[in-house]
Amino acid sequence: MALLATSTIAFKTINTQIRSRSFLPAQRHLPLSSSPPSSSFFRTVSVKAMELEQKNPMVIDENGVLKKGIAEFYDESSAIWEDIWGDHMHHGFYPPDSTVSLSDHRAAQIRMIEQALRFASIPLGDERKWPKKIVDVGCGIGGSSRYLSEKFGATAIGITLSPVQAQRANALAAAQDLANKVSFQVADALDQPFPDGQFDLVWSMESGEHMPDKAKFVSELARVAAPGATIIIVTWCHRDLGPDEESLKPWEEKHLKKICDAFYLPAWCSTADYVRLLESLSLQDIKSEDWSPYVAPFWPAVIRSALSWKGLTSLLRSGLKTIKGALAMPLMIEGFKKDLIKFAIITCRKPE
Amino acid sequence: MRLLTHNMLSSNIKGVEKGFPLRIEAEKVVEKPVEMNADFLRKMFEKVEWKAFVEASRSMGYAQLPEEVDSGMLESDEFLSRFHHALLELHLEEGALVCPETGRRFPVNKGIPNMLLHEDEV
Repeated sequence: MALLATSTIAFKTINTQIRSRSFLPAQRHLPLSSSPPSSSFFRTVSVKAMELEQKNPMVIDENGVLKKGIAEFYDESSAIWEDIWGDHMHHGFYPPDSTVSLSDHRAAQIRMIEQALRFASIPLGDERKWPKKIVDVGCGIGGSSRYLSEKFGATAIGITLSPVQAQRANALAAAQDLANKVSFQVADALDQPFPDGQFDLVWSMESGEHMPDKAKFVSELARVAAPGATIIIVTWCHRDLGPDEESLKPWEEKHLKKICDAFYLPAWCSTADYVRLLESLSLQDIKSEDWSPYVAPFWPAVIRSALSWKGLTSLLRSGLKTIKGALAMPLMIEGFKKDLIKFAIITCRKPE
Repeated sequence: MRLLTHNMLSSNIKGVEKGFPLRIEAEKVVEKPVEMNADFLRKMFEKVEWKAFVEASRSMGYAQLPEEVDSGMLESDEFLSRFHHALLELHLEEGALVCPETGRRFPVNKGIPNMLLHEDEV
């Protein structure tokens, strides 16, 4: 039932999006159908998804099942993402109130990386202080790792739960002549396969939202950080709770749960929760900021790309998990609009 | 998986005190030549745990590295080329990385180690 309700909201929201913005072509040059799909087509997709969902209800209270779900979700959907959006699987950073075209998005994704480095006060002007060993926790297909390795001349090692992603990430590194500096393995961010204190930059770009145990996640980030290292976390959080609040309101919990089901996310936490965890580990220079205003164009753009001819045909070829994820995208927009979802950056330094 | 990567990995099984270095069980090793960059090698020399590196290299079938090293050796082209070969040109395609304490095997398939722990190992 939830999925049908979701998809109806999704359809209404998408229709509004299309009417209020010009319909933009997908990034690749393909024969393009210039009219949006018919409403009956869209409903057919969502009803099919719902039927299959009822046959295989997804349980996400078991970490093992969650991890398997995450791995399978990304095994299934990474190629279609890369095909349309390229090798960075994270939000772009946009000046507020800007209108952007699809071709701006890659630049915006690079800008996100650069802004994060700046926010964390990485001394970009002094080569001697550049990081030399980087770990990319929840690396996707390795966009950040390759970019950072090239930028700093550093080695980067990425970990992901998805074997398909690790394979693709390594292939891209080889193609870009970075294979001697950058490598990827299948591993769990909650049990990183590294000795203590290995890395001078610990990077987690939009992977924290998948971690079922935030305390363990953060403690692993701190453990593998070398003395003096910088830790950068960019992630989706829910709003901070007020001083009198024990939890989010019921409608907020319900809203997040729909997103969790579609994107294989465990329970959300707030930016303040992350700050508390970092403080508890005696990390220094802890800074955090709400970057929601800077990512506003992202989800509408992803939806538009999904609704392009290429997007739709790719989705239909991809699989159920990807389709479910796609249908949940308007929920992200709604969540941001209602100040429930926050796009947060949290950075700190490990003491020397 | 190159030996540069192996030198950074360790077993994180609950209760294991010394999970580094992982022993290598090599089933398929492939040599892929790559251009040498002496500056990169000199930087990496500072970071590499040498004893583990020599042992790993031997497991991959290359025994031409000196047991003991000092930074003076970086002046020697011969040394640099052996270092380069072992660090970057040997790839473990199929095999396993073995926890030195528990003997648990982490499989390596198509060059990618799978370091995921089972439920009872966390």
